[in-house]
Amino acid sequence: MADLTYLSEIKQIRVNENSPLFDKTGMHYKEFPSDFRQIRYFTLLIVQSAPLEIKEINLLEQQISEVIKNAVKHGNRCAVGKKVRVWYSFDSAHAHLIVQDEGDGFTDLEKWNDFNRKRLEILSAQDFERLADFVSWRTIKSDDNDGGNALFAALEYWDGGFVFNDARNAVAMLKSFPQKKHAIG
Amino acid sequence: MELKIRKNGNNYIIDVNGEMDLYNSYKLKELVMKMLEKKVERFIINLENVDYIDSSGIGALIYICSTIKKMSFRLIITNIHGSVKKVIELTKLMGYFPITNSIEEAILQMED
Repeated sequence: MADLTYLSEIKQIRVNENSPLFDKTGMHYKEFPSDFRQIRYFTLLIVQSAPLEIKEINLLEQQISEVIKNAVKHGNRCAVGKKVRVWYSFDSAHAHLIVQDEGDGFTDLEKWNDFNRKRLEILSAQDFERLADFVSWRTIKSDDNDGGNALFAALEYWDGGFVFNDARNAVAMLKSFPQKKHAIG
Repeated sequence: MELKIRKNGNNYIIDVNGEMDLYNSYKLKELVMKMLEKKVERFIINLENVDYIDSSGIGALIYICSTIKKMSFRLIITNIHGSVKKVIELTKLMGYFPITNSIEEAILQMED
């Protein structure tokens, strides 16, 4: 039987430079060279400012690492002279990031959205045979180490939005964390 | 990341220890390909000691899973937990991968 939950809200990567998520007011800033070997180290430098109340810090670190990896590898093509710029702010309720590279931008964005829509339709039909062709987004630039699945998870994880600027070389994202309800006594 | 192989009957259990990230996930892929060359047909990948996985790690599991399926051999991935489970859930691949909760369950399923 079809599982319609996959289709209830098909999320898309959007382009909107005027999104409030691009407002950098009050955000911290760091910039890094596009050194592939140091992606997880750069990520830790950012994540270390997240408050301890945030649960699943491993997951937050992983999701940030994917976005920085995309900027270093796919945006700047690992040209060490090209910078990755990161604006970030964390509190117990939110993680907000903007990551910008010096590349040509995510030109295949519409193709990716089409691919993802088909993937979700196949998941909805629970057609695991056909799903095999939609588990990984590949382009002619993909190599064997590209999982091709990072953006599927990113769209789900960044529940407050995942939005590109007009040049498509910067992405802004927001995650909301569930808050403990304090008993009133 | 450290990989250890142990044998249980006709099943080969690969214990993965550490992080499956962009720097080392290819090692698991290479190991499974070498084992396939040596005619291994039944794989159990144990992720009990893996607390971190990224898209490269998921990509390695997809590659392994699709290769083994195409050859009509058997694979079960077991002991997925914590953020590893969350990442697989976010990617909506829990139904794609053959998954069990324990090695014992995996061995039982292999007998089916």
